[in-house]
Amino acid sequence: MVLIVTALMIEAAPIIEHFRLKKDMAIHEFPVYRNSDIALIVSGVGKVKSAMASVYLYSIYGKKEEDILVNIGFCGAGSSRYPPGTMLLINKVTDMDTGRDYYPDVFFGQDMPKESVRCYSKPVMREDVGENIDIFCDMESSGIMEAANKFVYSHNVAILKIVSDYLNPQNLDKEQLKSLVRDQMPQVERIIGQLKQLNESSGDLSLSSEEREGVEAFSDRMKFSKAMKQMLLKEMKYAKLRGKEPLKVLESFMDIKVESRVEGKKVLEQIRQKIK
Amino acid sequence: MKGRRYLSKSDKRSNNSMFNTIYVEEKALEYPITRQLLQKYADCPVVTIRHYKDVFNRPKQHFALQKQNQSLILAVKEGQFLYKGPEVCQNFGHPNFYYTSFVLNCVFDCEYCYLQGMYPSANMVAFVNVEDFKKSMEEVLVEKQAFLAASYDTDLIAFHNIVPYVDYFYDFFKENPDLLVEIRTKSANQSFYRNHEPLENIIIAFTLTPAEVIEKYERHTPSLEARIKAVNTAISQGFKVRICFDPIFIDPEIDHAYEPFYRYIFTRIDPGSILDVGYGFFRMSEDFFKRIEKIRSSSLLYAEDYCKDNGVISYPSHVMEKIQKEHMSILYDYIGKEKIFTL
Repeated sequence: MVLIVTALMIEAAPIIEHFRLKKDMAIHEFPVYRNSDIALIVSGVGKVKSAMASVYLYSIYGKKEEDILVNIGFCGAGSSRYPPGTMLLINKVTDMDTGRDYYPDVFFGQDMPKESVRCYSKPVMREDVGENIDIFCDMESSGIMEAANKFVYSHNVAILKIVSDYLNPQNLDKEQLKSLVRDQMPQVERIIGQLKQLNESSGDLSLSSEEREGVEAFSDRMKFSKAMKQMLLKEMKYAKLRGKEPLKVLESFMDIKVESRVEGKKVLEQIRQKIK
Repeated sequence: MKGRRYLSKSDKRSNNSMFNTIYVEEKALEYPITRQLLQKYADCPVVTIRHYKDVFNRPKQHFALQKQNQSLILAVKEGQFLYKGPEVCQNFGHPNFYYTSFVLNCVFDCEYCYLQGMYPSANMVAFVNVEDFKKSMEEVLVEKQAFLAASYDTDLIAFHNIVPYVDYFYDFFKENPDLLVEIRTKSANQSFYRNHEPLENIIIAFTLTPAEVIEKYERHTPSLEARIKAVNTAISQGFKVRICFDPIFIDPEIDHAYEPFYRYIFTRIDPGSILDVGYGFFRMSEDFFKRIEKIRSSSLLYAEDYCKDNGVISYPSHVMEKIQKEHMSILYDYIGKEKIFTL
């Protein structure tokens, strides 16, 4: 599942439009929009809200470390090195309150600019940092990273920051801001595609949840101990890596009636012999 | 990905695609090695960090994907610089056996490598304070007959085109002849031997495995042919060469490969020109094995049944004895018994 977190509705609107997401009417705590493989949440401004929203979204739609957590939002730039609308891939987030640094692994967007971002608790103005200082500032990234560190692989969190202003946010036009996000949607889609591909390429060939459940149910019927169940799971994984179908291997043992653990041990040994 | 395929042909990689990111500790910024590397890989994204462990020890790192998108971390080593050699490693008869790690992790991607279980990250850490290493070696090793494994947690010769660590220590090794240094490698880098003076106390230990093992387990490593060429270049340039047949696998798909492999090796390499041979079966500490079993969930190697002896996972001893006996009967055709060190 791809989980997208934005702070503001103006950041979310072009994404909702692009991926044709529908509002999840069952959820009232946050605005959540989704389709079959993307869920988007509008967190509100600030790192506490972004952390809360990330965890909330993951707890509903996330399942595993392979889920992808994307933060798309604006950042202010301390220098004019990048024109407004440039999307930056963030490879370091510094929480300016705690001083803690976070490092997402950026394995996507090889041709795109990569920068560090400073995450502040309140809006940063030009007069706060001085002239022409080469920094990028936002208010959500450290919250996203804190949540990501708990739930998803470090390469599955993408902090995508679009330069909106040069630390003078008071002059921004809403429609103009939306178009900055809209213009980046092909890139966003490409990045999501690259992340999905990465996860597929590292595909885990071990037992599927269906196979695992089947093996566990079989173990219970055969009165296997916990250790024997683990041994059978290992044998089934081995069988699968050797090109056999685990549940088919067990089929011929299904009708055996086991009364004791000793009899169960005999069955386990027969299965092991069959696999070898 | 990112030039890895190129590495399998030789150890050279294009500078632009060499590393995903270079992380630099703030205190490492002013070291000459850092400056040279940042200049050399000027197109690579650079991130300054406080301590290498902030990046290296992060939670939720995906070892296999990091290996394909490897980053380099430049750091200043602190604390201990030399370690006592572990029991699972061969000491070749030297009681004062130490190892040191200028670099953590390796450019190669061997499925059986213990480093996957030892470190939480596949990124490479290169320590830039070489003078501190020297100072520590002087304190601990000098005037002591010691054996130093300098290329254990990495492959220094494969890494030579990135950071020429061996060059930094060459004079030091030369001035300390009582210090016997082993540099273990799978690299096919022949120019290294042409460009360096052989020293009496430096042993180049080449790990050679059958082509079937290379194909199955040693991703991005040079071919057997390329390694043999490197061995012969090292010998012809006057280097002391050790051949390591380690790890040996017991596997119906591979067992048949060993006899022709040994015979081929000693038709291509003059057995009289090598110092000795190291021989050892696939073995690993139980802790490392368990960690790798999780991250290499699709690997048959970690799905096999092994025996556990004193916290070390390996094949059953009676099977190893039988295979070893068969292998030795072939190796004795070429090498004297006293020159073969087994573990």
